[in-house]
Formats: sequence, structure tokens, C-alpha cells
Amino acid sequence: MNRYDFILISVILFVCLLFLGITYINGEKDANVAYVYYDNKLVKTIDLRIDETKEYIVKGYNGDVVIETKKNQIRVKEEKSPLNLCSKQGFISSSLETIVCLPNKVVIKIESSNDELDAVVR
Amino acid sequence: MELRKLTHLSMLLATSVVLNIIESVIPVLGNIIPGAKLGLANIVILFIIYIYGFKDAIFVSIMRVLLVGILRTGLFNITFFFSLGGAIFSVIIMAITHRFTKLSVVGVSIIGAISHSIGQIIVAISFLNAPNLIYYLPYLLILSIPTGIITGMISNKVIEYYKKISN
Repeated sequence: MNRYDFILISVILFVCLLFLGITYINGEKDANVAYVYYDNKLVKTIDLRIDETKEYIVKGYNGDVVIETKKNQIRVKEEKSPLNLCSKQGFISSSLETIVCLPNKVVIKIESSNDELDAVVR
Repeated sequence: MELRKLTHLSMLLATSVVLNIIESVIPVLGNIIPGAKLGLANIVILFIIYIYGFKDAIFVSIMRVLLVGILRTGLFNITFFFSLGGAIFSVIIMAITHRFTKLSVVGVSIIGAISHSIGQIIVAISFLNAPNLIYYLPYLLILSIPTGIITGMISNKVIEYYKKISN
């Protein structure tokens, strides 16, 4: 390793920490609506303001994907995939986070938009 | 292509496939951040960039992704394009940094790890239509530093040793 390597490492660390700092300052808002996509199509919209544990089942590429929600939180509880990465990820609660189940082609995005919520959630 | 070189590149290709399989069996880093990997196959690609150059490196890299796809993960699905995007992007960037900067093997390796993450994130964002995935990038990049250093040091040893025995 030479000094250019150390400069490189410092620059990477600096940029990453700056980016993390900015996202932290901008604030992660509480999530109150989750959008579940299968194969890039919206299949379910879930209201996360409800203060109880609920389970939903959506179709995944390898079979059913079980989704569990708590207040302002959502996770994939069960799914069939080689590494089970998205169920290992656990609950997400910030609008900056996304759950991606690649083998099942399922993506869960959460947002904190208050306005459209009532119109969207049925 | 000279027979000796052809044989050597085939062996390197086989090695990179085996390294890829080994690291997917022990997903230590994947438990910390989903999708994170040590990048052992990069040892082979770095070696080829230093010994044979960019063209052979990108050829072996694409062949590796194809072979791993056929053997394990399947061809032309999302995972396949993830790997392909990361692999091609990282080889190009590594070759450029090797040629035009004064970074050592370790530095080039870190650049490789970083560009692999960036390539994958770009493919992921465009395929999954999920721009939020960009927020994983800082975590992946910070993780790229130790993994890049580890694979870079191993490559460095291998390259030094190879130059010694081939003289």
C-alpha cells in the first residue's frame, strides 16, 4: 500500500460519512404507508398507522411471501429463497429503507406521505 | 491466442468460479448488510488485469458471470444482471485506475470493490425502479474498504509470486 491508497481510503470515508450525515440531518420520517410490488407492479398498499400486528400474504416468484406489520414498521416474515436475505433484514421503519427480495421479485417501499394516504388505502 | 495463455486463463476462470461458489456458501457479510460479499473472485480478475491486461480480464469476468449463472443462480434473471452489471463496471474502472493512477494493487482492488457496488446499485435501481436503494450505497462503500484491502493484499502476493516464478 502506498500513500495514494490512504488518500483514496480517506476520500471514500469522507464522502460516505458526509452522505450519511446529510441523510441523517434531513431526517428519516416515520413510515406510515407501505407499497408492495411484485415484478415491478404494485400489488398491495398497506396502512402502517394501525397500532397492531398484522400479517399479509402476497404472491412471490417462489411461492407466498408473508409480510408482517406493526405500527410504522414492516418486515418480510417468511419467504422461500436461497439466502433468505429479505427476511433476515427484519423490520424497516424509515422512508429511506427498502426491502428487496430478488429471488421472489418482491420489493417493499415505505413512505411517509400523509396526504394521499386516505385516498390510496382501502 | 497462445496455448499456454489460453490454458492459464481457463484455469483462472475455473478458480474464479470456485471462489464465487465458496463465498456464497459462507455469507458472513451478507448478514450485516444484505447483498454484501467479500469479492474473492476479484482476486483473479485483478491478477489478470496486471498480468494479461484489460481485454482478457473483461472476457474472463463475463465468462465467470455466465458460468456461475449456468451452475447456480440461473441465466438472464435479475440476479444475473446484477452480477453482470457489477462485474463489467468494476473491470472497466479497475483497468482505468491501474493504467492511469499511481494506486497500488490494494488501491485498485478497493476501487474494484466500490465500482462493483455502484454497478450493482445502478442495475438494481433501474431494474427495480427503487431509487431509495441509493441509501444503501454509503454502507456498501464503507464495507468495500476492508474487503478491498483483503482481496487486494492477496492479489498482490499472487502477482508478486507469479512474476517471480515466470522469470
